[in-house]
Amino acid sequence: MSDLDKAIAQLRACRPIPENQVKELCHKARELLLEEGNVVGVNAPVTICGDIHGQFHDLMELFRVGGDVPDTNYLFMGDFVDRGFYSLESFLLLLCLKVRYPDRITLIRGNHESRQITTVYGFYDECLRKYGSANVWRHCCEVFDYLALGALVTGASKNLESSETSYTDAGTQSSIEDQDIEIEILNSNSEVINRFPRSSRDSQLPPKSSPLSSPILDTPSRIGPVGTGATSSSGGSRSNDGGAVLCVHGGLSPLIDTIDKIRLLDRKQEVPHEGAMCDLLWSDPDEIDGWGLSPRGAGFLFGSDIVKCFNHKNDLSLIARAHQLVMEGFKEMFDNSIVTVWSAPNYCYRCGNVAAILELAEDGSNGGYIPRSNGDLGRKQEMERDLRKRDPPGRRYRVFEAAPQDSRGMPAKKPVADYFL
Amino acid sequence: MSDLAKSFAKAKLSALPPESPLTEEGGEIIEDDASSASSVSSTGTVRPTSSHPSVQPVAWTDFFQQELYLEKDFPDGQKAKYHVYLTPPETPKSPFFVLHHGAGSSGLSFALFAQDLHRQIPHAGILCVEAREHGSIVWTAAGDVNNDLSIDILSQDMAEMIHLTKERMNWPDIPNTLYVGHSLGGAVVTDAAKRELLGNKLLGYAVLDVVEGSAMEALKSMQSYLTSRPSIFPTLDAAIEWHIRSRTLRNIESARASVPSLLMQTPSGGWRWKTDLSRTEAYWSNWFTGMSSKFLSAKGAKLLLLAGTDRLDKDLMIGQMQGKFQLQVFPAAGHFLQEDMPERTADVIVEFWKRNDRSTLVLPPKVSDLIKQGVKV
Repeated sequence: MSDLDKAIAQLRACRPIPENQVKELCHKARELLLEEGNVVGVNAPVTICGDIHGQFHDLMELFRVGGDVPDTNYLFMGDFVDRGFYSLESFLLLLCLKVRYPDRITLIRGNHESRQITTVYGFYDECLRKYGSANVWRHCCEVFDYLALGALVTGASKNLESSETSYTDAGTQSSIEDQDIEIEILNSNSEVINRFPRSSRDSQLPPKSSPLSSPILDTPSRIGPVGTGATSSSGGSRSNDGGAVLCVHGGLSPLIDTIDKIRLLDRKQEVPHEGAMCDLLWSDPDEIDGWGLSPRGAGFLFGSDIVKCFNHKNDLSLIARAHQLVMEGFKEMFDNSIVTVWSAPNYCYRCGNVAAILELAEDGSNGGYIPRSNGDLGRKQEMERDLRKRDPPGRRYRVFEAAPQDSRGMPAKKPVADYFL
Repeated sequence: MSDLAKSFAKAKLSALPPESPLTEEGGEIIEDDASSASSVSSTGTVRPTSSHPSVQPVAWTDFFQQELYLEKDFPDGQKAKYHVYLTPPETPKSPFFVLHHGAGSSGLSFALFAQDLHRQIPHAGILCVEAREHGSIVWTAAGDVNNDLSIDILSQDMAEMIHLTKERMNWPDIPNTLYVGHSLGGAVVTDAAKRELLGNKLLGYAVLDVVEGSAMEALKSMQSYLTSRPSIFPTLDAAIEWHIRSRTLRNIESARASVPSLLMQTPSGGWRWKTDLSRTEAYWSNWFTGMSSKFLSAKGAKLLLLAGTDRLDKDLMIGQMQGKFQLQVFPAAGHFLQEDMPERTADVIVEFWKRNDRSTLVLPPKVSDLIKQGVKV
């Protein structure tokens, strides 16, 4: 067993690794992350996760529900640390997995991966408490500076194959059995809670043929498990390509109108208080027209028009982001053009929310060929002629609750303030 | 050094154990005395009983330009004599900060903060109000003191003081306003914002170290805390020293400014608390119940400044993580964070104002406007 595997085993048991190992791990991780662009290319199948916030036991639950690394390909959209009591173990485990299986796990930066924020919201204090010095915190912060700012998922399938699992309410399954599934929601036991066929939006749009009589594609329906390339019929569109999905922690920036502009940023620094890099990590979608001031004090609010315009211009079918607590674990907005994924159940051990992860399946219908989706000028021009909105890929959400908490390692509850009038 | 580097350095510094203010600050003041011929050295007063000459009171005039008593006869026969400190705005466009102290505290708890705020925005207006039982007095129609401290009464009082100040100063209109409330004052400004007492003149509100959930929890132990305080001090210096020694306040400069205003002299020469806090117990739950929901739902920019992250209750934790307000935390400060860290508090409030100042706010264009202008999007 290599040292790295030993470290992984130790961290999986929620036991911190020695300082010298952290230093070495962070060094290796930095070398690895340095090679990544600001926007990492990721091929489906992939499971996209939102905020973790040091909730180690819930991260273990996430792996139980979503499958373990390296069997499942993961993309974590930042905010690994702060608030929860095990930021250190959570982040170091993810980092170990990144170093051990670099192609099977992608980590991008959240607004909490910052020196300034971690000194206030818990990670700094936790490092100090667990090691007696701030060295480990410092090593981790250096890694934060190298984390990518976004990821671009390509090769996702437009439709989901039906999962092989039982329906929580058997009576409702048959009604949509023969339709293409766009969205499927599963509970932590892989039982289907809900399933949505690709909406009638498709049928309103010429020149598409009806799903049941597509003469063009004759893809076999529902063979094999998720991610093997065997897919259901394609819903009558010209291909089963679900389009490209941009993943970023917060959202869009008025300074960024193309993904290439994200690629040009100098990311190897502390998260600035303003500017494009700050916005990508801090902004939120909101039911407004255009841009708004973010009540958070950093980043912007952006409306449906901004998202649709950005997606169209960059040939994206969907933006996946985290950053905002969603009581139901995930929330799609603006005609399914953006989704918030939140992966910290019962956030901060008191909010009572459930968590979710988002699975995108691989589109094998094209013989494994993945068309370049972004930065391909010819393709973009084609899109401008065809102003139709890109259909997002099939989305499978797995919703889970907080794992039973082990109180070991939790700091004693601070006494209430003695004066509060 | 960039702002970021500065704030980072400060954040790191603030994580270190605080130094003893008595020895540190005391040393500085002695130097001041030697060089500036202050009242202490010039009169040559020998003070053998106090080892800390720096615990002497400081007057309000160092921090505000004016002190006003605003009188009003209400239609229902009630009369009020409100007490406020004022530094008027220089222009009608200048921002206007209205400050409200906490229970048992006083307007001068904002003394150093107001000084720093004014230094950073010299044209800003600052109105520091005092609640009834804390410097202001309201009489019933029968001529008795009306000591109803219900939250809606207190926020109404604050709105009265703003309007009376405008009248006294002959301003054409109330300037664009930001409320800053500490503790009970935070509940007051939140209530005033929720009830839209200033209409669209309110840009936003900042609440300093008070959260419904943790306040309600703390109330249970409040009476025992109150009985543990000395009820009388032999001198003002002793009162200032007590505030520092008990770590109620962690900044001697602020204690010198604020503590004297909390006390009044007894016939026997000692100093007792001006506000009988235990008597206010009947209102404690009225002050804080529903505050989190009011804070999240009122119109205007929202800032919550806390001395510790664990003071957020469930509603505000959810609200914060959904991005509904701005949160700042000063882990090194005590409950009176605007007194303990006046400059940092002013920095945050100034940033908050700049960000939400409508006169300079320019947002990027909407897609629909671009299309109208014929821009290819």
